[in-house]
Amino acid sequence: MNEQRDTSADSPKGDYVLLAIETSCDETSVAVVRNGREILSNVISSQIETHKQFGGVVPEIASRKHVESITIILEEALREANTSLEDIDAVAVTQGPGLIGALLVGVVAAKSVALALDVPLIGTHHIAGHIYANHLIGDIVYPAIALVVSGGHTEIVLLESEGKFRIIGRTRDDAVGEAYDKVARALQFPYPGGPYVDKLAQEATEEVVLPRSWLEPDSYDFSFSGLKSAVLSEINRSRMKGESPDFSALARGFQQSVIDVVTGKAIKAAKEFGARQMLLCGGVAANRGLRERLSSLCEEMGLPLLIPPNKLCTDNAAMIAAAADLKWRRGQFSSLDLKAEPILSLEDWSV
Amino acid sequence: MKAVEKKNEDSAVTVLSFDTSTAAFAAAIVRNGERMDSTVSFTERNHSVRILSEIKDLLSRNGIQSKDLDAIAVGQGPGSYTGVRIAVTVAKTLAWTWNKPLVGVSSLESLALGAWNSLQKSDEYMADERKIWIVPVMDARRGQVYTSRYEATTSGEWSRIDSDGIRLIADWAKRIEEEATTDSQVAEVWFVGDLAVHQSAIELAEQSGARLRTMSFDMDAEAVGQLGEIRFRQGERADIHTFVPNYTQLAEAEAKLLAASRGE
Ligand SMILES: [Zn+2]
Repeated sequence: MNEQRDTSADSPKGDYVLLAIETSCDETSVAVVRNGREILSNVISSQIETHKQFGGVVPEIASRKHVESITIILEEALREANTSLEDIDAVAVTQGPGLIGALLVGVVAAKSVALALDVPLIGTHHIAGHIYANHLIGDIVYPAIALVVSGGHTEIVLLESEGKFRIIGRTRDDAVGEAYDKVARALQFPYPGGPYVDKLAQEATEEVVLPRSWLEPDSYDFSFSGLKSAVLSEINRSRMKGESPDFSALARGFQQSVIDVVTGKAIKAAKEFGARQMLLCGGVAANRGLRERLSSLCEEMGLPLLIPPNKLCTDNAAMIAAAADLKWRRGQFSSLDLKAEPILSLEDWSV
Repeated sequence: MKAVEKKNEDSAVTVLSFDTSTAAFAAAIVRNGERMDSTVSFTERNHSVRILSEIKDLLSRNGIQSKDLDAIAVGQGPGSYTGVRIAVTVAKTLAWTWNKPLVGVSSLESLALGAWNSLQKSDEYMADERKIWIVPVMDARRGQVYTSRYEATTSGEWSRIDSDGIRLIADWAKRIEEEATTDSQVAEVWFVGDLAVHQSAIELAEQSGARLRTMSFDMDAEAVGQLGEIRFRQGERADIHTFVPNYTQLAEAEAKLLAASRGE
């Protein structure tokens, strides 16, 4: 059924254990993963409660929190995995993209462990991690189309074969998650407001129909800033008329527009590139409306769809291990001079 | 974690020490208070890139393995936020992975002691039975410096007078000058460290009293190791998990939030 399924059994060392670290934004996470797919532990320490009071992630505070947590989370991950340091065969870490100060903590911690244990280091692309989170729950069939939706990213990625990434569409302004958070603020929800908008949209009985931003007919790119402005001007228009805006109808209108465009383009890409599988990933993959629509569209065209459970959609280190496994099996390691990169090309990270 | 072996007061102690709070990356191996080897570089402003390779080289060219180390000493700041985080994260992660005692020392005190070590070797410095004040200075922008004050004597005494903090150089230099003028036991006052942009403010503070002398000086990890070794021999051990940099101030967003909550 699939020539390229799990090949970790053929790896030079057979069974191996990877320690992975992810600190690209506001989650300190460490995972222990066996053979690139079997999660022994995946500890995530979220800073969300701290950043809530600031209405968004404050980079300096995120960096400080990572330093406070790093060895505690390392220890917890090993304990939960019932593994000792001597069992670790390699260390993987998110090299980028992300907040530079936050990435740095994970990168120097990973380099320290790699030096101290004298094991290879694997610098890993964060988005490759989100995509390969799917490899933790199932087999990936190539070519595949990955729809990456998160607070910082909105991309359609073509995987012609294992570990070969080609970005065919990306956002030209806000990421989906960013648009959700901004709209949530306009609808007076606390940060992070995405899940509230999703819930309100699901429960809505009315819909304020908002424009769809399809851009050029042959483009797989996205733009959400116009949609966000449309929501804001709807709210203003109601207020000028002395009415109170119908938040739930607006939430529904916003969500329907986002979902139409995002799933529409992903399905179109799947058809054009003859995809044999669709992968949904990133923090916004937790959005119920999006999951349901993409599921039904894929079902209609008989396209298998993978969506990781919520815990593997939001930032976590197990997904970093899953992507690093691509490099491990090919013996592609990083030097101890690995540099954290706030902007890092996914395509260049291909195997 | 396993219990750490107890060291005798007089047994040999080998410390790996490093600091990245300033523009310098400085690392050293210090054995029984003496520099065994050290390295310092300025070429890479981003200390995170080379820090582990440099440490690896330093250890291997001296034939030192992790089992030969008794402790890891690190400059805990203050200094560049990002810089200090790099050394602190490396120190706590190495200490955790190797199960070694960790000792944090003030980066300012290290800068001051390094400068004092260097002054004692130079002709600049005039031997005197009285006290010498060493005032370490690191630029903190907008006329501010991270600074503190240490007192040294030629008979080997070394003590802290002021705590590490962020201060306006103009006011600080003036205060030091006044206090040195009224204290007849103070023979010399040395401002040391990152002086390029603060030299004139220090000169301006000079009245007709004490002379404020200056010496540009880069971080020297030998001093980090010496201070670390003293603490280590005194039984001091940092808790690895809760070990964090000494930033000396809140993050800007926190300070604003605090001010807002006070209605400022
Ligand atoms: Zn992410």
